[in-house]
Amino acid sequence: MFKRLRSLFRVLTRRRDFEDGMTEELRFHIEQYADELVRSGMSPEKAARHARIEFGSLDSVKGDCREERGLHLFDEFRRELSYAVRLLRKTPGFTATALLTLAVCLGANLTIFAVIDSVLLRPLPFREPDRLMTIFNTYPKAGVERDGSSLTNYYERRGHISAFTSLAIYRYGTEIIGEAGLTDREQTMRVSPDFFSTLGLGPAIGRTFTEEETTSETDHVAILSYTFWRQRYNADPNVIGRLVRVNSVPRTVIGVLPPTFRFLSSDARVFLPLASRAEERTPLRRHSGGNVIQMIARLQPGVTLAQAQSQIDAHNAMLEADDPQAKMIADAGFRSMAVPLHADHVAAIRPTLLLLQAGAFALLLIGAVNLVNLLLIRASGRVKELAVRQALGASRAYVVSEVVVETTLLTLVGGLLGLAIGAGGIRLLRVLGADHLPLGGRIAFDAQLASVALVAAIIMGIVLAVPIAWFNLRQHLGNALQSESRGGTSSRAAQILRHSFIVSQIALAFMLLAGAGLLGLSLQRAMAVSPGFQSDHVLTGQILLPWADYSEAARLTFVESLMDKIAYLPGVLSAGVVNNVPFSGLSGKSAATVVGHVLRPGESARGHYSYGVAGDYFRAMGFSLRAGRFLTADDSRRSQRVCVVDDDFARYYWPHASAIGQRLWDGSEAGRDAETFTVVGVVGGAKQAGLTEEQAQGAIYYPYAFRIGDSVFVAVRTSLPPESLGLALQKVVRQIDSNIPVNDLRSMETRITDSLVARRSPALLAGLFSGMALLLTAIGTYGVLSYAVAQRRREIGLRMALGAQPGQIRSQFFYLSLRLLAGGTILGVIGAWLTGQAMQAVLFHVPALNLAILGGAALVMGVMSLVACLVPSHRAAQISPMEALAEE
Amino acid sequence: MDKTAELLPGTLDMLILKAVSLKPLHGYGVMLRIRQISGDAIEIPQGSLYPALYRLEHHDLIAAEWGQSENNRRAKYYTLTATGRRRLRDETAGWNRLVTAIAAALNTTSEQV
Repeated sequence: MFKRLRSLFRVLTRRRDFEDGMTEELRFHIEQYADELVRSGMSPEKAARHARIEFGSLDSVKGDCREERGLHLFDEFRRELSYAVRLLRKTPGFTATALLTLAVCLGANLTIFAVIDSVLLRPLPFREPDRLMTIFNTYPKAGVERDGSSLTNYYERRGHISAFTSLAIYRYGTEIIGEAGLTDREQTMRVSPDFFSTLGLGPAIGRTFTEEETTSETDHVAILSYTFWRQRYNADPNVIGRLVRVNSVPRTVIGVLPPTFRFLSSDARVFLPLASRAEERTPLRRHSGGNVIQMIARLQPGVTLAQAQSQIDAHNAMLEADDPQAKMIADAGFRSMAVPLHADHVAAIRPTLLLLQAGAFALLLIGAVNLVNLLLIRASGRVKELAVRQALGASRAYVVSEVVVETTLLTLVGGLLGLAIGAGGIRLLRVLGADHLPLGGRIAFDAQLASVALVAAIIMGIVLAVPIAWFNLRQHLGNALQSESRGGTSSRAAQILRHSFIVSQIALAFMLLAGAGLLGLSLQRAMAVSPGFQSDHVLTGQILLPWADYSEAARLTFVESLMDKIAYLPGVLSAGVVNNVPFSGLSGKSAATVVGHVLRPGESARGHYSYGVAGDYFRAMGFSLRAGRFLTADDSRRSQRVCVVDDDFARYYWPHASAIGQRLWDGSEAGRDAETFTVVGVVGGAKQAGLTEEQAQGAIYYPYAFRIGDSVFVAVRTSLPPESLGLALQKVVRQIDSNIPVNDLRSMETRITDSLVARRSPALLAGLFSGMALLLTAIGTYGVLSYAVAQRRREIGLRMALGAQPGQIRSQFFYLSLRLLAGGTILGVIGAWLTGQAMQAVLFHVPALNLAILGGAALVMGVMSLVACLVPSHRAAQISPMEALAEE
Repeated sequence: MDKTAELLPGTLDMLILKAVSLKPLHGYGVMLRIRQISGDAIEIPQGSLYPALYRLEHHDLIAAEWGQSENNRRAKYYTLTATGRRRLRDETAGWNRLVTAIAAALNTTSEQV
């Protein structure tokens, strides 16, 4: 078999040589034969003639020879290809419509598939990535779904859970890197020593961190990412041992990672040891994860996830046995969950992506149906030609392969155009924020994707050919040849097929339209949610103070002088500081213990958003005051043990009493009396994680001095456009410390808008898809109706000659389109309901079946149908009986 | 003419292989050689000779090479390949079995039944 293929290949690549050789060989034979005849006494002329006659037709012998070498198939293919090209060039309108349809549909699918491929399908760039798990603590009954893992978890579990070959922790961060005056803020990761071995991908140069480097005194080492090494160290091969200044502390470079290293979506450029003190690893700190530190683990070969999970559960149970807080933890529904790392990382975006792919696929179906209809119409026009050719001996296989060649040619060229559209589409997705999707940085247009697209195009070509070939083959030769009209008899079956295609097209477009409507409405409802404060005219930014330079006292001083200086900026109305601003993307919760509150049976301690505020934070953010007073700059200066809670908190703990004057402890345990905070005010509840955050868990605001954290967010209310204050704010901070930049400088409104990108972009794409679907459906309906008019010209002419009014003719076609529309809409409503069901996961406060949306979709489809049928029915009414009857 | 035998279907390939096995030949030579070795009994139709040669070459049973003919013309010479040699052996054996069996069958007399 292989040899035969090789021989065929040889002949194909040197086709000229083959033909010339064959001609020469046959000529040689005939001449030899003629010579022989001459020798036996024939005259040369007669001999030459006789030899040729005896040999038979040269062409037919050559044909037989080619066939024996398997060449006839290729010759036939080439013939069919040139025939298809000629046909397509003869009908440029059809060809352009078909190619454009294919390009748009395939391009849209390619675009979405590119995202699906890089986000959901392509494995993580590590060894056996499907064995990588992430483990996190959850306290569902306390309203804390996800709390990461604690240092204690790590040190207790390491080496004690046999289901895992190894286990590691990491935390994301940003640090100031570089020499004084030349600093840059860089994304970093702090990781435990076994992080790289767990992933199965470590430094290309140098070594990984050791156990000795995990204390705060001994952690002065760093591993660089490949790009950081190239850019900052000029790819110096002797970089090991050189110094890198992190937060103004020098660290020794001990390794450089390979270029392929990328942990999930992180852009970390410098890796540091996750150092800690012994007291941070004690059992008391077991439940203090706060969603900052995350744990990964590599599953032992042959061990299932379920086995690993039960080992974790057993290990937790053993540890909790002597935990004084065990009851409270158990009441909170505590568990440590192990889930696959990749799937977990993309879990939130998965339904949206699949939905968009379904939408793109529906678009492709609509486009395919359009093409089939157009091709069917064209095939009807060629019934007679085909019948003649079949009568002259064209085989059934030939009729089929001719169609396949033509449709595949169309889809392939359309696919190539689709590649261009897909490349553009991927760029559009970038604009729409695809880069910020989990693993979105991997989205790229590459050869693998292109080949998938071309294979899909070929498959589509073959699928499209099926109905056309079926139509061509089922024609009765006799009927077709006898029928007098050019278009042949109108096949009832073909008509039903065309009409049912239009109905399904309308139904699909309706579904897309309704789906896009649901997404749009969901976005609108999300946008209508109040964030709980006045988001206009507020500028916010994050300032990270390195612990090495800023002790707790220094932080307070910094905040103090920052507030002073900002107050003098022009246009500033009020300014404040908080350790975590709403919509920052960070959302850790912590516990509080309310004096006098006894946990009811089944009730567990709750996680609350807990803030530290300084300056005039509440006024700057525009919180509404419900009772008592705000915390002011004075509170933070005097370090009073006071606090403000929000509506939800007050309502939960003191449903029948005033919250003012009540007392609580920060943390999950009752402490000494002197450590309580007194509630001095109640403010409106604010959203932290996003507008669509459903659970109102309650929030507590402490004076900043009691809740000093890594970073400080500054919030400034101004009478000017908030962005215009950005430079001034950065300048103020540099005046205090020239090494400290302001990060993430965005107005509050921008933060809120950005937080909706996961809703807005899909809604936009779905809108785009349904717009295209609508256009395609209009083209399809128009094409089929036009054809129906053209085909019934004689009939219409006859009827008009017998007295039918143009209005009657017009309404006949109008009713036809109305019937198609009604059929499509009924199916579409059912489809829209199913779509809505499937979309529930990504919808916000929108039911699966929304009457307004269905009505709107029906209206749009109705207008579309009407427009599509106007021209053809008008044309029908304009038919002149004389002309129509005189034709042929 | 009364000496010529009809070529049985499927035997042409076998005869070509045999002809070529004796000495490399060009197409016309193959025809002459078959005529010669069959004692002028078999005249192969010229039209079907070349498709057969191309088929055998395609199946790697014979190999072709351009060379110089007796009268100094460029001609394509066919030789038997190793696969072809094996095929010829098998087909000859098969043919002999068939001939023996058919001859035995045809020579049967009524007494032997």
